Amino acid sequence: MSSRKKALLKVIILGDSGVGKTSLMNQFVNKKFSNQYKATIGADFLTKEVIVDDRIVTMQIWDTAGQERFQSLGVAFYRGADCCVLVFDVTAPNTFKSLESWRDEFLIQASPRDPDNFPFVILGNKIDLDNRAVSAKRAQQWCQSKNDIPYFETSAKEAVNVELAFQTIARNALAQETEAELYNEFPDQIKLNANDNGRNRDGDNCAC
Amino acid sequence: MASTSKDVPAVVIQDNPPDDLEPGACHDSILNPTDSFEEFASEMSSSLQERNISLATKSSTISEIQSEIGENSAPMKPTKSSDDLQTKDESISASTSNSNLTEQNGDDTDTEKDDYLQSPELVNKEKHVFILSSAGKPIYSRYGNEDKLAGLCGVIQALVSVVEEQNQDILRSISTNDCKAVFLVKGPLILVAVSKSDESETQLVLQLTYAFNQIVSVLTLTQLNRIFEQRRNYDLRRLLSGAERLIDHLLIFMEKDPAFLLGAVRCLPLPEKARENITNAIQTTCNKIRDLVFAIMLAGNQLITLVRMKKYTLHPSDIHLLFNLVRSSESFKTAESWTPICLPKFDSTGFLHGHVSYISEDCQACLLLLTVQRDAFFPLSQAKHTIADKLRRSNCLVAINDALNRNEELPTTNPLKHIGIPEIRHFMYKCKSTAQLFTSDPISLDKLQDYRLRHKEGGDIMEKKVEKLSDIDYVRNYRKFCSSIHCTSTPAKLIFRSNSCDTILAWVTNGFELYVTFDPLMEKDQAIKAVDRLLKWIKKEEQRIFIMHAPTF
Repeated sequence: MSSRKKALLKVIILGDSGVGKTSLMNQFVNKKFSNQYKATIGADFLTKEVIVDDRIVTMQIWDTAGQERFQSLGVAFYRGADCCVLVFDVTAPNTFKSLESWRDEFLIQASPRDPDNFPFVILGNKIDLDNRAVSAKRAQQWCQSKNDIPYFETSAKEAVNVELAFQTIARNALAQETEAELYNEFPDQIKLNANDNGRNRDGDNCAC
Repeated sequence: MASTSKDVPAVVIQDNPPDDLEPGACHDSILNPTDSFEEFASEMSSSLQERNISLATKSSTISEIQSEIGENSAPMKPTKSSDDLQTKDESISASTSNSNLTEQNGDDTDTEKDDYLQSPELVNKEKHVFILSSAGKPIYSRYGNEDKLAGLCGVIQALVSVVEEQNQDILRSISTNDCKAVFLVKGPLILVAVSKSDESETQLVLQLTYAFNQIVSVLTLTQLNRIFEQRRNYDLRRLLSGAERLIDHLLIFMEKDPAFLLGAVRCLPLPEKARENITNAIQTTCNKIRDLVFAIMLAGNQLITLVRMKKYTLHPSDIHLLFNLVRSSESFKTAESWTPICLPKFDSTGFLHGHVSYISEDCQACLLLLTVQRDAFFPLSQAKHTIADKLRRSNCLVAINDALNRNEELPTTNPLKHIGIPEIRHFMYKCKSTAQLFTSDPISLDKLQDYRLRHKEGGDIMEKKVEKLSDIDYVRNYRKFCSSIHCTSTPAKLIFRSNSCDTILAWVTNGFELYVTFDPLMEKDQAIKAVDRLLKWIKKEEQRIFIMHAPTF
């Protein structure tokens, strides 16, 4: 399997409104931060190339609106995602509590093939602020209880852990991809005899 | 000014030239008769549900053939398509929110991210084509780097799905002042054309359908559906790598060749005897090979002959894909190839296996032997050499070369000179029942090469006025006549338009379609007389310019 192949990852960012989803993305993609709050309408789309283990990966980042009135856009956005980033604000406990429902919502809408192992990453944002209300321990515990979701504490403003978090996101999503590939080599050629038809994807159908 | 048939004196609809069949028509056709616009008519009229149903793969022609031959005892079961995937998603409740989708934020970060869309690779192109998965992942972009267009693909996917999910409707097109964006959602793919050309929405839909069929031709519909059924996030570029070239060429091909506009196939004009000999050579050599479904000889995007298994005919659109395959693949010139080919109209569920080779180094005719047997390379290779020998002995190679090199002595090389009506500048004739096409100035191989090169670096909108019109320019002019004649709401039978540049007559009957360009300010009755003589000439030469037999093995 060649490692030179290009890869493209669809990454969805979810979380309550105002937790800093767009700011994190801007920090990651454009290395910029603005204190001004502007609500995202519907969704924003950004791309960024990163290098993971010598492989060039294009991250197609779908920054969604946190406001409830845009939630109906769900299915379309979640469909075919490679990774989901859940963001909360460490100074606002209710945004942390929402993580559970964001995660459930995503799994229902996106209905990934293997929900238990779907790559999520949790970001606790705004650690640069003084009025912290959700402890790192509490967040970590929750992440562990959800099949060990990786957890990062970030500051979009001061660019703390942002790069690292997105690197991890890309890496975990890629890991899924290669894993799936082992079980699922598509044959170049369909054979027209009946037993090759449909269901069997055990990888035995490329015996020439 | 355009005027429809009503203004034209009844004299026009004269008796067809003798023999009561229109020029080019014969009782048996190798090709499926087409109505130029059938494809988009069906595409445009379908609702969301119908669309999902229509994509469900049908029973397989290939397995039908196989079971008739008795090779593979068990017939293939119809395969499940991925379309239930779509219906599953539909259950979302509509919300009343004003769903403003795309980019907001007027700050500087936005201008940065849009930079690529303003780059010279993308700006000022006449027509863009984007193909993405229903997850919004880029698969193909005609220009530029599709990786960098991932953001745009996200927007396209969002637009398509909002219309689908919130309004239970299909997004077909968006028009702005000088630009049309046409959308085609087919199975797990979304195809978009963004065009500043004068092509109609339906013509663009047709082109997108062809692009889709080109992908199916590489993968089969079964495979395509199955991939996305299993992994919706699949990056299809991995399976299509190498096939982008086919789509590139197809898009150029469609802009240049009227065959696409009319859903017909151009034939290489040949003396009747020569074509007969070629057909006989193939028939006699291949009639013992039981798995052979089609034997097709072509040259320069023109059909020389097609011999087929009884009961089966080909759709022109499948032949166009074969033309495209041959023209885009230099490697066929140097070696005999064995390649899986799916012909979507014939059977979208499986591959035929093709032996593809050029007849000889001194003749640019290419022979395709398509079979359902996947290890028939050697017998077919043997057959090919036998055929090539026979053709050489019977001087057929010379005849083919003469036609390809447009030997001046052939009446079909410069038909306008032979017809002797100086006012006619150009014409294009399609016989509907056989789906074959003839134009007065067929694009030669060299010219196609030129256009290919020119287009490779360009594709830009050109303001420059050309001095001498080529076949391609005339065909461009026919586009809007073609779409008004086929307009579903108010179809016309005949359009006559005269102005200071030229006079154009477009005429469609049950049997044929005809487009003629005359000198400017031509009178109607004059034009009609000329057309009458033109039809007589076509009738006289029909044995040369069309394939009038439908031989089988």
